[in-house]
Amino acid sequence: MIGGLRMSRDPRAWIFLGVPSVFLVLLFVLPLVSMIVLSFWRTENYHIIQDWNVDNYHVVATAGAYVTFLIRSLVMAVIVSTLCVAIAWPVAYGVIVHGGRYKLLLSLGFAIPFLTGEVLRVIALQGLLGPLGLLNGVLMALGAAPLRFIMYTNIASAIGLVYLYLPIVVTVIYLSLLNFDMRLIDAARIFGAGPFRGFVEVTWPLNLFGSLIGFALCFVPCLSATLVPRFLGGPSGTLYGMALAQQFGESGTWALGAAMGVVLFLLSIAGVLLVFRFVDLRRSGFTGFGRS
Amino acid sequence: MATGNIARKLQKPALIGTMVLCYLFLYLPIIHIGLGSVSQNYSFPYPPKLTWATFERLAENTLYQTALGNSLLIGVLTALLSTLLACLATMGLLRHAGRHTVKFLILFIAPLFVAEVLLGLSSLIFNGLFLQLGGNLISAILANTVHCFSYALLIIATQLYRYDWRLDDAAMVFGATPLRTFFEVTLPLIWPGLFGAFIVCFIMAFNNLEISFYLLGATPTLPSVAWGALRYGIKPELYALASGVNVLVFAVLGIMFILMRTGAVRFGHKPERDRSAI
Repeated sequence: MIGGLRMSRDPRAWIFLGVPSVFLVLLFVLPLVSMIVLSFWRTENYHIIQDWNVDNYHVVATAGAYVTFLIRSLVMAVIVSTLCVAIAWPVAYGVIVHGGRYKLLLSLGFAIPFLTGEVLRVIALQGLLGPLGLLNGVLMALGAAPLRFIMYTNIASAIGLVYLYLPIVVTVIYLSLLNFDMRLIDAARIFGAGPFRGFVEVTWPLNLFGSLIGFALCFVPCLSATLVPRFLGGPSGTLYGMALAQQFGESGTWALGAAMGVVLFLLSIAGVLLVFRFVDLRRSGFTGFGRS
Repeated sequence: MATGNIARKLQKPALIGTMVLCYLFLYLPIIHIGLGSVSQNYSFPYPPKLTWATFERLAENTLYQTALGNSLLIGVLTALLSTLLACLATMGLLRHAGRHTVKFLILFIAPLFVAEVLLGLSSLIFNGLFLQLGGNLISAILANTVHCFSYALLIIATQLYRYDWRLDDAAMVFGATPLRTFFEVTLPLIWPGLFGAFIVCFIMAFNNLEISFYLLGATPTLPSVAWGALRYGIKPELYALASGVNVLVFAVLGIMFILMRTGAVRFGHKPERDRSAI
């Protein structure tokens, strides 16, 4: 009934699982492997020389700038992801509880901003937060001092990143809550738990998996953000992803870029594994995949 | 008990207040772009001086039209391909994987945890260095599909997870072929999930910069044109194009809202089961 036996006997299993697997191996795993290979080569005058060495990693580890960018990116990613989860919870919960028949419409509402390109939205944010932006324009028109900390600083970057990735986190938590049996809250209430206790002891732990996936899906792109720091971060706001993308653009040092990419990849994986170590799947209402 | 009552009374306005603030935050830049597209002073349109000149110039600009066409092509093909693959993969995971479920699941959702830039760059390295392929639309579509596939899988899995496979078995017992079972039993029940996955994938691929940028070569798409225009300052035509797309989408959502309001369509909403698991 289970496992290899059934898989090899059933041709449908090969179609259902084989096709996507082959697709991913060809277009996802092989490119990543080629990036790892490239990271052990070197670039000279825009030419790639197949000469196995670890100099690229040595540069990443010892050049002070890259380490600074990396630490700054890590701190930024942790703060932004935590903020996103904290904001997303009440919003997703509100849509579920008070959305009524318009739930689908309200959740689609989170996806609409994505239709406007990332570049344009970041430029628009610049227009809202920048020195000549709406926010400071209003403040100055009222005679108040402009808010300096939101102009081309790391705080502006953080606002921009929250803006870009909040919809993803809300959607993930929304999907998690959609599959959550709300009657459990009623049950907790009947047994005398207040709303706060009900949330801490029932709703939160049973949707922990959703929160963590949301956190991870925000953490990974934040760690490699390229656009936001470029336009909102200002002079001391360079993040790792921006420096990484430059190796493939202006500087033309592909091999170093590949090594930086491998470091980023390993860090994202480490971060995700760390986050998911906290999950006890059974405690979070996960009952396994096989239902038959 | 008393504090509990107060908290309960405060809960609804607090939740709705947060929701409203959040939507406002998300839509402020969109409104900024919309105002910018219809005013002469497009970089600071407060208050806007209305003009339609931008839209007229947009209608004459063939580069932006080509870019829109390419973006649409990438969006639709990526969404179709990833929804199809993710549907196969989810059904495979739930029905056929057996004790290999976790291994396959890790492979299938791994792209979620690899940043878009890395996907784009590693595909660029693989195509450019090892396959000697130049930039083209097809590799951009395929690389976007890798990214979108995992999102589609996540969305479809949340829907299919609750699907009762005994319905399929029942149909087969009564003599339906697997294909007929899928189209007459499974598909009508799971289409909201597939539709949601398609929409999300389309939106992600339509405007993807970080994957497509490295794989497209000289082919213009909306985000790459916007990126290119930045060197000389953003053009109001791009604002107009983005607003045009937004107005269209809001019109569709408005129609959906009216249809739901009048009760003509429900889009999967089942009032009598509002607070139940299945």
